[in-house]
Amino acid sequence: MTQSVTQPDRNAGGFNLFSFARSQEGVVVFLLVALMIVVAVFSAASPYFFDVRNGMNIGRAISIIGIASAFTTLLMIAGGLDLSIGAVMNAAGVVAAMVLTQTGLGVGGAILAAVAVGALVGWVNGMFIAKLGINPLIMTIAMQFVVRGLTLGFSASASKVIVDPTFLAIGQSYFHLGPLAIPAPLLWMLLAMLVLWFVLRFTLFGKYVYAVGGKASACRRAGINVNVITIQLYMLSGIGAALAGVVLAAIQGAGIPYGAGSELSVISAVILGGVSLAGGVGLIEGTLVAVLLVGVLKNGMTLMGISSVFQMVAEGLVLVGAVTLDRLKRRL
Amino acid sequence: MQHAETTQGTPFLEARHIGKRYGGLHAVRDVNLSIYPGEVIGIVGDNGAGKSTFIKMLAGDHQPTSGELLIEGKPVRFAHPRDAKQAQIETIYQDLALCENLSVMDNIFLGHELTRNPVLRLLRRSKMHIESRVLLDDLGIGIPSTHELVVNLSGGQRQATALARVAKAGAKLIILDEPSAALGVRETRALLDLILRFRSQGKSILVISHEMRDVFEITDRIAIFKRGELIAIKRTKETTPDEIVSLIIRGRQ
Repeated sequence: MTQSVTQPDRNAGGFNLFSFARSQEGVVVFLLVALMIVVAVFSAASPYFFDVRNGMNIGRAISIIGIASAFTTLLMIAGGLDLSIGAVMNAAGVVAAMVLTQTGLGVGGAILAAVAVGALVGWVNGMFIAKLGINPLIMTIAMQFVVRGLTLGFSASASKVIVDPTFLAIGQSYFHLGPLAIPAPLLWMLLAMLVLWFVLRFTLFGKYVYAVGGKASACRRAGINVNVITIQLYMLSGIGAALAGVVLAAIQGAGIPYGAGSELSVISAVILGGVSLAGGVGLIEGTLVAVLLVGVLKNGMTLMGISSVFQMVAEGLVLVGAVTLDRLKRRL
Repeated sequence: MQHAETTQGTPFLEARHIGKRYGGLHAVRDVNLSIYPGEVIGIVGDNGAGKSTFIKMLAGDHQPTSGELLIEGKPVRFAHPRDAKQAQIETIYQDLALCENLSVMDNIFLGHELTRNPVLRLLRRSKMHIESRVLLDDLGIGIPSTHELVVNLSGGQRQATALARVAKAGAKLIILDEPSAALGVRETRALLDLILRFRSQGKSILVISHEMRDVFEITDRIAIFKRGELIAIKRTKETTPDEIVSLIIRGRQ
């Protein structure tokens, strides 16, 4: 393809360990190493840990957080923040369940309705944040309350049981790959991440995600419609939360309106994966490894009999450790 | 308004009675200025004289509250920087408006990326890298790699990246806000040469600067702003730095 005499010059300065450690790829490699160490430690500590079945359990456990994290990674690279994710997840599950039981729209209709709810919440977030300049933190917390209240109101605070076998299969079936039984939710997560990885890496939209996160004013002056991109990213984050909510409802066999919000787990996974809150840097690969790392830690601790209360403490400490290292490495 | 107007032909851009008010404050008042093809105009004045506000209106970044703009004799309205770019006006701001987290190539092509497949809009990276390299070499700009992130560049290299973006866009009017503020001696020299080269290609250039020596070396005319008004336009050959400085400080002589 490139027949030109002038070749694009690659890496003129040669490989530099320090600049690699500071780069976003460096973060992913660091997390992978941490993941391998954690896996090694748990494998030594528990005979049940290093096992295909247990691996698949971890995969299913992380899939909900993983799906939502993947979508909101794009938003956070662009410098945005979405705290309405947990509320949208619950709303999507309830909406899907209610559409299934109270209308004849079927599984497709249920999923579409749930996604529409996520897109709508994201659109409202994006409009207020992009057009009126409202702080994303405030706006999305406000929407969290609005959505949570509406969900409880419409469902009369009652869980909506789902019996449709096709819908339940979204969360409970397995895909058999030789001797491997892959839980469907894990597959959905990997699929979402693959698509979003492609978007970020190869498309114009992906380039603008990084550009807007780097300097929105420069993008505006370069003629890019920053407002539209911002709104689209909040909508994507809402859609991701809704898809996660659909899978969660299928796993639980019900749309539960009062589930504890998981937005902080989602956001901390994204940050652990190397996305800066200031925007401009980050990779889907980082989010994937971060979600895996947290999932493996929780699973390993469960197998070792550590109570879930201390697992929360560990999850918090891992995040603090990660951002501390991130600060320190800037001084390299 | 004493226009020392002898330049011939249709101006590329003409500002007629352009003004900008912020509430009770007149940031720019009744400015008349024509810019001809192949002409370099220097804009000088104290801080707060309205220079930046004026050029931001030409760049579509701010909207005038009075007066009108004409491009090649036709009235235009710029509601967004996009509109000014469409009219082939490119601006390099004081802060250069670069995304530091992106590469030199990304910044050169920002807003003009080459893509294939109209649905997925896939980036044509290697083509853009090659074109960036050709462009930088052609402009005589010393940036070792188009893959380098802007955050790792020197002030001069950043400026050069911004200039390469403008050159690529094929602008007819290039506006520069304090271009030499962050540059070393050698980098300033390269910048001035580049501006003269743009002029020889028939482009119009509007440059805000405090550096009298630079202004006298590259400009054809000098516009002096004071308290939001354009108080004088002098032909560079017919004036002296002392006269300009005295106009900046004391206003009318």
